[in-house]
Amino acid sequence: MSSKSLWLLFIFIGSSYSETYSEELFIKPLATGYVYSFFQFTVIREDDSFKHSTLFPHSLGDIIDRFHVAELNVDLTSGLWKHKSWGYPAVDAPSGAEISARFHNDTQDVDKHWYGLTNALSGLLCTSLNFINSANSYESSADRVYRYSNLPRENVCTENLTPWKKLLPCDSTRGLSSLLNSGRVHNANYHSLGIHFRPLCNAGKCKYELRQTVSLVYDSIFISFNNNYDWSLRKMFGTGLFKTCPLADYSKIYLDTSSNSSVPYLISQEPDYVLKNNIAVYNLNGIFHLSAIVPRPKIVVSELRPLLYTDRFITGFGQEYGGLVTRIYNDHKSPIIATVIENIPWFLPIYYHTLKVTSNGIRVIPKALIYKPGKGRVRIYYLEVVLELAPRSVTEISVQFDYVFLKWQEYPPDANHGFYIGSAIVKATIPRNATSLTFDKSLIIDNLNSAGDNYLICLKTENFIITLPTPDFSMPYNVICLACTVVALAFGPIHNITTKKLKLTTAKYVPGLASVAQKLYVLMETIFMLKTKKTGKPASVKVFTPEELSYHPTLGHVSEEFMKNKGS
Amino acid sequence: MKMGLLTDPSVGHGALTSIFVRHHNRFCIVMCIASVALFCMLAHYSLSSQTYFSENALLPGLVKGQLNDNTGSSFRDHYRELNAEAEHFETETPHSYLISKFKNLRLETYSHNFTLNYPLKKNTKYTGRNVYGILRAPRSASIESIVLSVPYRAPSSVFPSTLPGLAVMFQIAQFFRHQIYWAKDIIFLVTEHEQLGMQAWLEAYHGTSCGSPGVLDSGKLSGRAGAIQAAINLEIHSEKIDHIDVKLSGLNGQLPNLDLVNLAHRLCNKESVKHTFNNVDGGAIGRNKVNSYYTNLSTMLSMVMTQATGVPDGNHGLFHRFGIEAITLEGHEKEGRGIYSSVLQVGRVIEGMFRSLNNLLERFHQSFFFYLLPSTDRYVSIGLYMPCLVLLVGALFLKAFSTWIQHSSEQKQGDSSAKATIPEHLNVGMVSVITLGSHVVGLLLLPNLAPAYFTHFWNYMPTHRALLLGYGLLSITIVCILPIILKKCLNSFISSNWVLLHVICLLELGIGLLCVSMHNFSLGYLTALVYVPPALCTKSSQTSIIIKFFWLLVHPMCSLFWITAYITYTAYPELPIIDYLTKVLEASGQWMVLSTVDNMIYGNWAFTVGVLLLLPVWTEFWCLMFLPTIVSKKMKTE
Repeated sequence: MSSKSLWLLFIFIGSSYSETYSEELFIKPLATGYVYSFFQFTVIREDDSFKHSTLFPHSLGDIIDRFHVAELNVDLTSGLWKHKSWGYPAVDAPSGAEISARFHNDTQDVDKHWYGLTNALSGLLCTSLNFINSANSYESSADRVYRYSNLPRENVCTENLTPWKKLLPCDSTRGLSSLLNSGRVHNANYHSLGIHFRPLCNAGKCKYELRQTVSLVYDSIFISFNNNYDWSLRKMFGTGLFKTCPLADYSKIYLDTSSNSSVPYLISQEPDYVLKNNIAVYNLNGIFHLSAIVPRPKIVVSELRPLLYTDRFITGFGQEYGGLVTRIYNDHKSPIIATVIENIPWFLPIYYHTLKVTSNGIRVIPKALIYKPGKGRVRIYYLEVVLELAPRSVTEISVQFDYVFLKWQEYPPDANHGFYIGSAIVKATIPRNATSLTFDKSLIIDNLNSAGDNYLICLKTENFIITLPTPDFSMPYNVICLACTVVALAFGPIHNITTKKLKLTTAKYVPGLASVAQKLYVLMETIFMLKTKKTGKPASVKVFTPEELSYHPTLGHVSEEFMKNKGS
Repeated sequence: MKMGLLTDPSVGHGALTSIFVRHHNRFCIVMCIASVALFCMLAHYSLSSQTYFSENALLPGLVKGQLNDNTGSSFRDHYRELNAEAEHFETETPHSYLISKFKNLRLETYSHNFTLNYPLKKNTKYTGRNVYGILRAPRSASIESIVLSVPYRAPSSVFPSTLPGLAVMFQIAQFFRHQIYWAKDIIFLVTEHEQLGMQAWLEAYHGTSCGSPGVLDSGKLSGRAGAIQAAINLEIHSEKIDHIDVKLSGLNGQLPNLDLVNLAHRLCNKESVKHTFNNVDGGAIGRNKVNSYYTNLSTMLSMVMTQATGVPDGNHGLFHRFGIEAITLEGHEKEGRGIYSSVLQVGRVIEGMFRSLNNLLERFHQSFFFYLLPSTDRYVSIGLYMPCLVLLVGALFLKAFSTWIQHSSEQKQGDSSAKATIPEHLNVGMVSVITLGSHVVGLLLLPNLAPAYFTHFWNYMPTHRALLLGYGLLSITIVCILPIILKKCLNSFISSNWVLLHVICLLELGIGLLCVSMHNFSLGYLTALVYVPPALCTKSSQTSIIIKFFWLLVHPMCSLFWITAYITYTAYPELPIIDYLTKVLEASGQWMVLSTVDNMIYGNWAFTVGVLLLLPVWTEFWCLMFLPTIVSKKMKTE
């Protein structure tokens, strides 16, 4: 970093609240031929009010302030993280959108703030988080102010990446974020954008941390264009690094070379220093490029087999009833305590009495079990099971459900595509040395240096689609089209017939009370006139009989006299 | 009067009714003839229509096939390697080779073990192992998948080799792995033991069991790829392919969506590969193809025959139950010289199909699930073929209706003079005993009850003989003993006619046939063709001896014998008569064993229909003909 930018940074730190920003990229080539790259952009500030900030994104700060958010995690993911062949990610996120938040403890109406938050974020990130409602979110069993929801059907695209990049202090013009070209990001086998905000409190003194993360997994087949496992920054991201972000305190690239031991490979740059024997660290200043030539191994490794992994699927066929099975594989030599949280949407009503937990085929009793039954269109079926996973065992949680008929408006336009069921969550504490990397500290560098006993992992299982009994929508559609055509064709004539009355109008001889009275009046008047001749003769009123009338094209029946006048 | 409760006294006096009642025999004959005539006409150009794509998302043939031999290993390399490996294992599947092959193609590779506890013999187990590799679609969340399967056949297998198909699969997998456009995962599956392996894999994938419990232990799968949208099964017998035969018939006569079938034919057309349906349709390519009426009729009949057995004609047939549309592409060898299609062309057909299936946004639901195909490019919809069966069943109903009306009108005339009460007259008690009895016998003979006892009882002889003996003896007993019992013991129940039993028999047969044909039209229609004429000829009393003999000929066991006799004759026309008859008997027994085993493993219900519908109805008719009756004077004068 040049002295000028350091000076600038110093001014920033000195003049405003203390905020630090760091950019890190962690690259891990996997033995299975994939390359995992994890970007992390971290802002840490000490002030708890977000009225004014220099590095912290103001738009997000406003939202956090307004909705009393204490902790927030948003992940937008496309693709499924394959634990079996990729190991553990830095941030485990299910396919689609996932959001969880914890509000301040004194928040009164948590739900109101939760929906406000999701709506605001949906605007900020151009996602469909506004579809979150009570029917697809739940509150934690232990925590009143915690809310969670996931939208498995959400498609993540460049329209989410652009606003996400706007939250970064250097945008995408400088620094590591300039590597994130939407074309390349969305061509990855797996990509996940994340926003993670949390307080870090130590002895009553709190700091606030915002981590923006991107996880990308590239398949060497698609980037190397040969049969080897070659990779480089340019191959993955389409560009090298040209400028560093002057606002960043740290700008580093870490390269995990642990797979180097099985397949020795060549790296184009010597690292600045090496951590823990196998992590090469590069300090970024100016133009930087990194590439590796990796020969294809003689024996292809297809699985990494982490300590703990899961498997989830639907059983049965037909559209009457089925089962939901979650399997947890524990390859560790000692037992592990795990918590499984299933959130099953209301349209899959489960039968609690069919809940069965087996370990290697033998039925076991879970350590704890929390079940909140769902309610049609309002609440999900929430099932939380705490288990002790026996060493080297496969634990299976199965439950039976019914497929329900929905109301016809509740089917999506592509009704036969199927309905998405979101992932379950498996939380477990594993020994820290069981996984090569941990990601629970603020910065990657801290994580790499960290030591301790346990590490909490949170696995998200796969999503799946189910086919609910679906009516033949094309049939009503055809009927509607036909009926509408018939109605449209029939409407004109019927409207004409019903609104335009065909009747004979104009003066017509009506032998009624009035004419009798009129005649009488005339008669009386003539008699009266005979008596008083001096008053003069009044204009006589002529009453026509039908025979005397004739037809006029526009006026209808008129008197012959009238016609004569017209003619002349 | 009590009668008003059962029947409306006013019925049966309308002009139309009396016409129907008076001429019902003629009507029945006309309906039967019309049914057969209509059925034969279905194959005609005017009654079938040109096939078309209902699902627009398929976009068949929109892209040019890109599969080639230039990148990576060629088909020949794969095939040579595979052949060398197959020769090492004469009777077994080279699992480790397949696994390492899939791993080298960089697919997620798994294997799957299964066990069959043979149901007709205790402690007999067969084990097998399938190998499959999953190509994970980039960017997708593994929620949908398509299957490409090949049954592995060791060189010792009696069926033609599928190794060229397997080599094609390797080449396709290698090509597909380098494409980025996949939106659905692709599962490459190599199954063992023909349909058994496929059934085990499907059951394991869906975590269920379809047959009798405990028969097929399908094991567990450790890798899945979401909901399977479609499946293609490959059986390519040679490098030089004469034509591709598209096979559809599934378990219990279930058919795949017509869109998938059309897709296969359309893409064969596009790649200029000769394609046929059931090996009958000439295999001409292009729009100018014109088939004669007889070709169409024989194609349609072959489809009806295949469908009626209810046995899938390829591994694809087992997918249908799970709501997965599937077909088999069978590549027949080109013998002799002449123009042939290369494996690469067929590979491009499959590539095109997969790219089309990849486009699917919704699962197949648009096009027909019920159809008959008189040609590769024409279909007969359900609305046209169902009337054939309805005419036959309608004749049964008409017969039942007029019998009942005739009876009740006679009864009314008789009421004034001889005051017979209804229960005596209809013999409700006796009729229900007969009906119930025949059905209970049917239930006891269900494939998962009786066969086990038979094989246990005659455990020293082969299974098929034991079954044949068991069912044969039981049938002969029923056929011989029933008339004697009825004549001797039921004299107290003597009655002028047995209308109630007659009507119940007719209605049961009619309703049963309708139900069967809702699931499997071909089976329903062929059964109706056999059983409706004798049922129409039978009378409520005093059935002639010819009709009785006719009934004997169509006993379910006899029908089985006739069918086997015909098939054996077509297969071995020169056999001497004694050899021929033993062969037919053996084959009938084997057929029964296969049927039972199919029922217990796959859930095929052809045997169940025979035992639960045909046998009881036949027994009831048999009773009806031998029940004691008094010949009334009136009848005699007639």
